[in-house]
Amino acid sequence: MDHSSTFEKALRSALITLVLIFFLFPILWIFLMSLQTNETILRIPPSILFEPNLDNYRALITGKLQTTAGNLDIAFMRNLWNSVLLSTFSVALSLLLGVPAAYAFARFKFRLGEDIAFTLLSFRFAPPLLVLLPLSLYFKTLGLTNTYIGLIWVYQLICLPLILWIVRGYFEDISPDIEHAYRIAGNSWWKTFTRVAIPLARPGIAAAGLLAFIFAWNNFVFALILASADKQPVTVGALAFVTASGIQYGQIAAAIVLSVTPTLALALYAQRYLVEGLSMGAVKG
Amino acid sequence: MTQLELKSLTKSYGAYKVFDGLNLAAEPGEIVVIFGGSGTGKTILLRLIAGVEEPTSGLIEIEGNDVADIAPEHRNIGMAFQNFALFPHLSAFENIATPLRAQNASAELVRSGVDKVAKLLKIDHVLGHAPRELSNGQKQRTALARALAAGPRILLLDDPLRNVDAKLRFEMRLELPRLLRQTGAAVLYVTQDYKEAMALADRIAVIANGKFIQTAAPEDIYLKPATLGVAQLFGDPSINTADTKVELAGKTVNVTLGGAKVPIVSSYSSYAGRLVTFGVRPEAVEINASKGAGLAANVMAVTPLNERTVLLLHSEGGWEFLASLPSSATNIPEPGAKVKASFAASGTHLFDKTTAERLHG
Amino acid sequence: MGELVISNVDKIYRPRRKAPVHAVQSLSLTVKPGEITALLGSSGCGKTSTLRMIAGFEDVSHGTISLDGRDIHTLAPSARGVAMAFEAYSLYPPLTIAENMAFALKAAKLSTAESDAKVKAMAEMLEISDILNKYPTSVSGGQQQRAGLGRALVRKAGLYLLDEPMGQLEPQLRAILRGRIKHYLREHKCTTILVTHDQTEANALADRIAVMEGGILQQYATPAELKLRPANLFTGTFIGEPPMNVFNAGVRTDGKTVSFAIDGGVTLDYPANELSAPVSNLLSKQQRVAIGIRPHALHLGKGPIKGKVVSCQWLGDQTHVAVEVAGRTIVSVAQERVSQKTGSDIELNVAAGDLHLFDAASGGALAHGGDLA
Repeated sequence: MDHSSTFEKALRSALITLVLIFFLFPILWIFLMSLQTNETILRIPPSILFEPNLDNYRALITGKLQTTAGNLDIAFMRNLWNSVLLSTFSVALSLLLGVPAAYAFARFKFRLGEDIAFTLLSFRFAPPLLVLLPLSLYFKTLGLTNTYIGLIWVYQLICLPLILWIVRGYFEDISPDIEHAYRIAGNSWWKTFTRVAIPLARPGIAAAGLLAFIFAWNNFVFALILASADKQPVTVGALAFVTASGIQYGQIAAAIVLSVTPTLALALYAQRYLVEGLSMGAVKG
Repeated sequence: MTQLELKSLTKSYGAYKVFDGLNLAAEPGEIVVIFGGSGTGKTILLRLIAGVEEPTSGLIEIEGNDVADIAPEHRNIGMAFQNFALFPHLSAFENIATPLRAQNASAELVRSGVDKVAKLLKIDHVLGHAPRELSNGQKQRTALARALAAGPRILLLDDPLRNVDAKLRFEMRLELPRLLRQTGAAVLYVTQDYKEAMALADRIAVIANGKFIQTAAPEDIYLKPATLGVAQLFGDPSINTADTKVELAGKTVNVTLGGAKVPIVSSYSSYAGRLVTFGVRPEAVEINASKGAGLAANVMAVTPLNERTVLLLHSEGGWEFLASLPSSATNIPEPGAKVKASFAASGTHLFDKTTAERLHG
Repeated sequence: MGELVISNVDKIYRPRRKAPVHAVQSLSLTVKPGEITALLGSSGCGKTSTLRMIAGFEDVSHGTISLDGRDIHTLAPSARGVAMAFEAYSLYPPLTIAENMAFALKAAKLSTAESDAKVKAMAEMLEISDILNKYPTSVSGGQQQRAGLGRALVRKAGLYLLDEPMGQLEPQLRAILRGRIKHYLREHKCTTILVTHDQTEANALADRIAVMEGGILQQYATPAELKLRPANLFTGTFIGEPPMNVFNAGVRTDGKTVSFAIDGGVTLDYPANELSAPVSNLLSKQQRVAIGIRPHALHLGKGPIKGKVVSCQWLGDQTHVAVEVAGRTIVSVAQERVSQKTGSDIELNVAAGDLHLFDAASGGALAHGGDLA
């Protein structure tokens, strides 16, 4: 029943505002910090009144980290580029491998099928550090340490299970009759896969791709151990802001703002596909 | 030439046999209805013929050729699905055009082909719509149009009227035979509705327990059911039954219904002593005034059924049965009335107690 | 066993950010003690809202509902003395079928022996004796539905609400169960409201049928009356299977003859005395009417309606003949078996007494057969 009084409405808006403030405050605070110098950030008591400047961003982009002990060279832009490169290629490779695999798991019953799917998922169970030690030894032997290829490979541990399991669910939701209808109409199985199954699962693929991208982007330990400075993503690169002469809060904040921007933009862009995905569900059958 | 032939077709999933040794032939222009309850494997049979599933053993022949090694896209089959299975991301036009496009038809050919079949099915005004914008009836017609578009040699229709409302189902039932005959294809039509089966079929193949228990013209199925099971599947209300024994008393042949002896036609005399299931169709039950001849019974309830009226009757010995009279009949009794019931020979059958096969009288 | 009086009931839904929906509009309906009433209509007609208001799952926006003289629309559902069978069965999964059926009896403090006997008899009637000890999830939908129906009928209540109670039933059982349930409801003088979209079920079970459409009660009458004297074109075409054939026609009367010129070229002439004087009189003021002819009243054989056979389908106990007349398909039903070749010429006739005449604009009934509506 829907007899909501004015009081209920006001209460609801107040509660929503509270929740929003709670969740958005850190983000806002970081944004404000990124426009301040270390001194204004650390002054006591804190204040939201300050003179904004873009020095932090300038420092990051030029690669000159200003500390009280003098200028340090940092590779932030390089790190950012690495993040984009690693995440993009990892997700692309995962989609290339994972989508057909997800289709196979969804449509065909084969021996050990469920076991294989579960094994792939179980990669997400083990703490990464457990795998890392042996992995770093292998990588050394194989010459993959500190290469993009090695990192992209190891990122599959994050992306592949995610894509496989999410996309599989979407394929399972498509009535096999729809694909049968397309085949009987005179099309090969490959055409059926590319013209019917993939377009219909596209919202799922978009959602899974986006999630995988965010997970890959946020990964820290793999790159920390398996790569050195010139191949490291922002998550690892940010360590450079913890210097011997103190922590550069302003620049860390600016770095966070810069590193969040690509994923945020991607999420906003993909949002319409996700929404489309929800409405697609209504036409089943 | 036989368009489609199934030769001892068998399908099992592991130890579970869906069907076993099905034989069936369909001529061009013929409508064969596959009739059976849910879970009898009707849909699986169509999938095997379409080639999207493989039989365990047996042959499927199209125009005399074994099609075991022919992929579904090369079998020249049109199929309509119970859930329509329209492509949600394509317009109605593109849905119908799929089989034509798959043949690489020119743009004009596609357009004229779609227009022709859409006009036939009265959906030419919604061709630009996406499937989600169509009513159920339009979806069903679009699915049918897609199946017909490329002029297939074989049409497989999987309960296409199941998901449309009663009125539309009735209209389509009147329209479909003419439409399907025009295509010249051999049609296999799956349904669970016996009226649909009788209305549309040239022949009906009744499937139960993995076998075709009777394949015959609708009137033969209804008037001469091969088994008790077939008799029970056709008719609304369903045939009345009673387990009894055929007895000879002088020249009359009797069965016992709820303790009372009831005479049946003398041609059954050769079955004297046999344990049988007596079956009488509700419309073959004749209701007479209580002073007349026949089985004495009480009217428990009177339930109108369209233009007929169904009576629930209890014989004095406790046999419960139904009678179905035209509503225009003048002798429809009230609930609680006492009547005498007799049974017209045309709707009365005896079935063997053990084999359930109909005994010829 | 109570009398249910629904007077002037409205139901208005006010969804957020959408226009309000007037689901039920000033509905007034009396169900006499022991009477079986069916609420019949297609989805969205307001029948389910009405049922939910009677059961107490939904507030009444306006008006009152009383049972046996006691206003119940403000009471909690449990205090209304109403037994209900749900469309979705709603059996308690952890209880066996027997325990489900005995649930309300236990609450009513019946002795175990008494409750067992009642459940047993009910199970026999509904053909579920063999599944009494099974759990709901392990039996078929049809069996669950029968169990849900049994749970409602076995208890003593002032009013029985049955929501689509037979939709899932096995076709072979349907006719006989309809008979048994009708007999049971009569025998126990149960005041019953049956909600259904299936007119076959409504016709079979109900003493009176309330036909609803668009939240408005169209007609409340016995099944026979609905067929013979539909109040408007909607009930006329809604009730009856196959549906009524409807023609738009111009009317001409010259005192001796009444002529209906049906669009498309067919003309039906009747001597004025076959339609009564008041009807002829009324028609002389009418220029256009809608004529309804039930398929059963459209007879094959010499007559003014000429066409080609589209299909001729024998269904065992009746034959449906579809005929193309003036570019459209009409249906005739014969109680016997007829054979007509597709494409052959055929003539049809209809007696004046079988015509239903409706106002062409409003759809309201003007006359049925020879008599004024």
